[in-house]
Amino acid sequence: MKRILIDAAKCDGCMNCTVACMQAHREGPGTVYDLDLTDIRNESRNHIVGCADGSYKPIFCRHCDQPECVMSCMSGALQKDPVTGHVKYDEKRCGSCFMCVMNCPYGVLKADTATRTKVIKCDFCEGLADGPSCVSACPKKAIFVEEVEV
Amino acid sequence: MSQCYGCSTCKSADKPLEDFIRSLPMETSHHRVETQRTKCGFGLQGVCCRLCANGPCRITPSSPRGICGANADTIVVRNFLRAVASGSGCYIHIVENTARNLRDTAKARGELKGLASLNHLAEIFGIEETDDYKKAERVAEAVLADLYKPEYEKAELVEKVAYAPRVKRWKELGILPGGAKSEVFHGVVKCSTNLNSDPVDMLVDCLKLGISTGVYGLTLTNLLNDVLLGQPELRMAPVGLRVIDPDYINIMITGHQHTIFVDLQEKLVSPAAVEKAKAAGAKGFKLVGCTCVGQDLQLRGAHYTEVFDGHAGNNYTSEAILATGAIDAVLSEFNCTLPGIEPICDQLKIKQICLDDVAKKANAELMPFEFQQREQQSEALIDKIIEAYKERRGSVPMNLMKDHGNDHSLTGVSEGSLKAFLGDTWKPLIDLIVSGDIKGIAGVVGCSNLTAGGHDVLTVELTKELIARDILVLTAGCSSGGIENCGLMTPEAAELAGPKLRAVCRKLGIPPVLNFGPCLAIGRLEIVATEIAAELGVDLPQLPLVLSAAQWLEEQALADGCFGLALGLPLHLGLPPFVTGSPVAVKVLTEDMKALTGGQVIINPDAKESADILEKIILEKRSGLQI
Amino acid sequence: MRHIIIGAGAAGIQAAQTIRSLRPDASVLVIASDEYVHSRCMLHRYLSHERDEAGLSFVPEHFFEDQKIEQLLGVTVSGIDTGERRVILADGRAFPYDRLLIATGANSFIPPVGQFREANNVFGLRHLKDAQEIRALADPAEKILIVGSGLVGMDAAYAFLEQGKEITVVEMVDRILPLQLDETAGEAYRKLFEAAGCRFLLGKKATETVMNSSGAVETVILDDGTRIDCDLVLVAAGVRPAIECVKDSGIRAERFIEVDDYLKTSCEDVYAAGDVTGIAGIWPNAKKQGETAARNMCGQAVKYEDRYGMKNTMSFYGLTTLSLGRGAVQEGDQVIRCQDSKGYRRAILRGGKLDSILIQGAIDYSGVYQYVIKNQIDLSGIQTDIFHLSFADFYGVGERGQYLYS
Repeated sequence: MKRILIDAAKCDGCMNCTVACMQAHREGPGTVYDLDLTDIRNESRNHIVGCADGSYKPIFCRHCDQPECVMSCMSGALQKDPVTGHVKYDEKRCGSCFMCVMNCPYGVLKADTATRTKVIKCDFCEGLADGPSCVSACPKKAIFVEEVEV
Repeated sequence: MSQCYGCSTCKSADKPLEDFIRSLPMETSHHRVETQRTKCGFGLQGVCCRLCANGPCRITPSSPRGICGANADTIVVRNFLRAVASGSGCYIHIVENTARNLRDTAKARGELKGLASLNHLAEIFGIEETDDYKKAERVAEAVLADLYKPEYEKAELVEKVAYAPRVKRWKELGILPGGAKSEVFHGVVKCSTNLNSDPVDMLVDCLKLGISTGVYGLTLTNLLNDVLLGQPELRMAPVGLRVIDPDYINIMITGHQHTIFVDLQEKLVSPAAVEKAKAAGAKGFKLVGCTCVGQDLQLRGAHYTEVFDGHAGNNYTSEAILATGAIDAVLSEFNCTLPGIEPICDQLKIKQICLDDVAKKANAELMPFEFQQREQQSEALIDKIIEAYKERRGSVPMNLMKDHGNDHSLTGVSEGSLKAFLGDTWKPLIDLIVSGDIKGIAGVVGCSNLTAGGHDVLTVELTKELIARDILVLTAGCSSGGIENCGLMTPEAAELAGPKLRAVCRKLGIPPVLNFGPCLAIGRLEIVATEIAAELGVDLPQLPLVLSAAQWLEEQALADGCFGLALGLPLHLGLPPFVTGSPVAVKVLTEDMKALTGGQVIINPDAKESADILEKIILEKRSGLQI
Repeated sequence: MRHIIIGAGAAGIQAAQTIRSLRPDASVLVIASDEYVHSRCMLHRYLSHERDEAGLSFVPEHFFEDQKIEQLLGVTVSGIDTGERRVILADGRAFPYDRLLIATGANSFIPPVGQFREANNVFGLRHLKDAQEIRALADPAEKILIVGSGLVGMDAAYAFLEQGKEITVVEMVDRILPLQLDETAGEAYRKLFEAAGCRFLLGKKATETVMNSSGAVETVILDDGTRIDCDLVLVAAGVRPAIECVKDSGIRAERFIEVDDYLKTSCEDVYAAGDVTGIAGIWPNAKKQGETAARNMCGQAVKYEDRYGMKNTMSFYGLTTLSLGRGAVQEGDQVIRCQDSKGYRRAILRGGKLDSILIQGAIDYSGVYQYVIKNQIDLSGIQTDIFHLSFADFYGVGERGQYLYS
């Protein structure tokens, strides 16, 4: 499967990945110039934690080999795709119980801020020819896509 | 060279230049576009604030305010005002030095080449003086006195230079500027940490800065230059890298302050200098035009046929000009002198001398221009350049581009030369506009950048779209350099114009794009517009006239743009000026401005769409005038 | 090899899926009393008319066909003949197995209060069948009494309030959601529910009932004498493992079916997973047990590890809460509380390790807490304050890009 690999030492905390993710998942068309950065509906699927030692830790969905979020999903909204290996989220099925938020061991997931009825979850920018937007946006190549053995 | 640099250069509207740059054995700005492709989204929207130690703060849905509490509007407009103030400062620096050089020349009873301009200035300033030198001195002093006024005292010349209906509107809006230097000071104070947080109040300051930039930096600089350096005259001239003649000692000039070169231009063609050049193995000296000071020289080329080879290219052509190997020295006195030329100069042993410390390059020699020392400085420059010539010629390979550009671009267009061409009256042009043979006028001005499609890509595409719609294009700035190298300023370019404009061009033997020269000459476009408006008895916003700084690059361009808005003109930008993070800034600039000054900002990176929008505005203005 | 799975809940379905992926050619049969595969955690959404039967499914449409899993839904297993290796249905049919998994889950516990067990309008809420019966009565009902303010009770209360019903919740403890929340956190929900019209009678017990001639409880009487008239009673007083089918089978079971570390029962080739085992049977654990049992049934020797079940999340009226751990304070514990306009947090630290945490408000990125508690990670070296822990504090990335705790 394809996974976004992370070289945290290269991350400068510019949050370009965050903005790119927001842009990739905005409702309606537009460019990064008119992306409303204050609209709580524009949420990023990834986030960067700035640490006390000055380092940055990119927190990105791993589309885990043994996804705890899928295990915890009581509506079937979260499923690991047997072909791509990516963990897909079906918003319509979601029962908004947020067990997945609690069960993701890496603290990647969150409830959507605006309605608290959905989960904000990486979809690997499925359908984008260039791959995940966050990866394209990283100026340091701190995140990059690689094929990993299943 | 084993390293391949050529795999990833950006596009250029100038295809031969694009190929040339791709083939170069050194890195240029065109190569770095790829590696700088990823832009910070916060920066693009202008919502990154570094004004205090709590920062940088950035606006996100979960952090809609900086630590201090500043929201996106405050952060964006503070950043914008800072940029406009900086840009204004640049132009005011230019006009200050220009006025000082005119004053000092007049005091020293040096040559004044443009007496008509002097008389025109004296007349509008209300200076009565019979002696030309005294007159010039008083004109220069009047400008300087205004520049040095405090912010709380209104500048005097604004009302005399600007169009009366505009001045009236500016008074109503309370945006008449004080002393131009003090306005810059006021602006930078306002946008400092934890001072002003009112985006609208700060945008009003941007308009004030726009007016002082426009009246002094853009309008008066040209006229003062005319007095010292001679008025522009229409002529056909060669443009592009072809102008470089390797048989001469070639000096590339970059910057915006033409008056600094007055003495040197004379000395370079003096028999003594030519003798020295010949002794070194060259036929003599030539100035090779680059950036706006090159445009200014080209504009007045009729007076400098011997020393001036022609204009080779704009800001982002400078590296290619140096890469020909035939340039022996770079004399720079202001922007747009790219830091990227420094390693190329080192590699090709090109002597760099800076004539103004504001533009000191890291590896260049500094010789700040001093009027009293001008003759000795010219001598010293000539000697240093000859040394460089001897040092490098023979050891540095030539990589000329003999066919680049063209040899018959129309240059020397100004409010004066154009009116003279029309028979000392604007009536023929007005008639053509009224009849619809010319649908309207678009000023395609400002810089070149490498990101709005590539080098000059949007500028040239937009220009083609506009002329195809029978809209006459006037240019000023680095846009001129790109457009002329692409051939749109040759009479044959009439083929690309719409049928009506084409017929006009053919009849008059002119291209559909008229080159007013440097970015400073945006002020000349404004004079043309003002004179036409006065003849029609209307205000500027009513004219079928639009501006586009399609590939604006610098803070100066933002100050220019604010002048355009203060004039009440629609202003198109290819890329947003880092303001889109602020709903207030976007609304004021693109919507509310129409009710304030009559101006508006239009942001669109697509040439065709932009031309459609500008054409629509022109048609609306035409129907407003019932033509 | 013939695999039979009794039960179509989280454990049963996960087991079927796992066997299918490990043994593409094996025969797999799922037998269950449920007529639809459905998620028990979403039954309240059926009560509130937000979802229909199909909307409660947690498997993709055509799951059984696509996975080539046989199914026999809506039937009752009456016994297991471990000698003959057969599953016997109440209708007399019998199905032979090579490997058997019992994942029958649990049933609601109805306490012997008054005529609760006899009345025709008193229900637990565990199966879709319950929800269907409840909804048929609830739709025309005006007054509904809910006994117990645990998650099931409050989910149902929420659903009925959305339907405009008059709701009374009786709770023995003096606060709501007592197992999951402390007083402060419970209070926040109590106020939200009360604002929506819910009436709470706390610290009280139902002791008697009045049943009418048609067999419906009309009035419930509490220990303090309070009389509550009602059209319908929902009892949310916990569950009991559904072990009826193992009666007389030789499979050892008292209150639940006993299993070893490999989830095997006392009988060869018979496994059990989920609520029926008595091991923390909440949804994710049930699924994991189903998976582990399936692996063992397919010949892998996999121990079941994750016995941590004291975890829950809830979300009512836009307020989300995460609760991990028992939440009971012992002597020597460090209790840290933090309450602000955005929410409430409480952590109980025991010997430098996190024992319990409760986060009410935004629960964003809170997944690390479960790991930290479950694995009893020593936090003494961590500088970050307890309410701001993130995976960054334990950051590690493996070769294949999988995160690792370091």
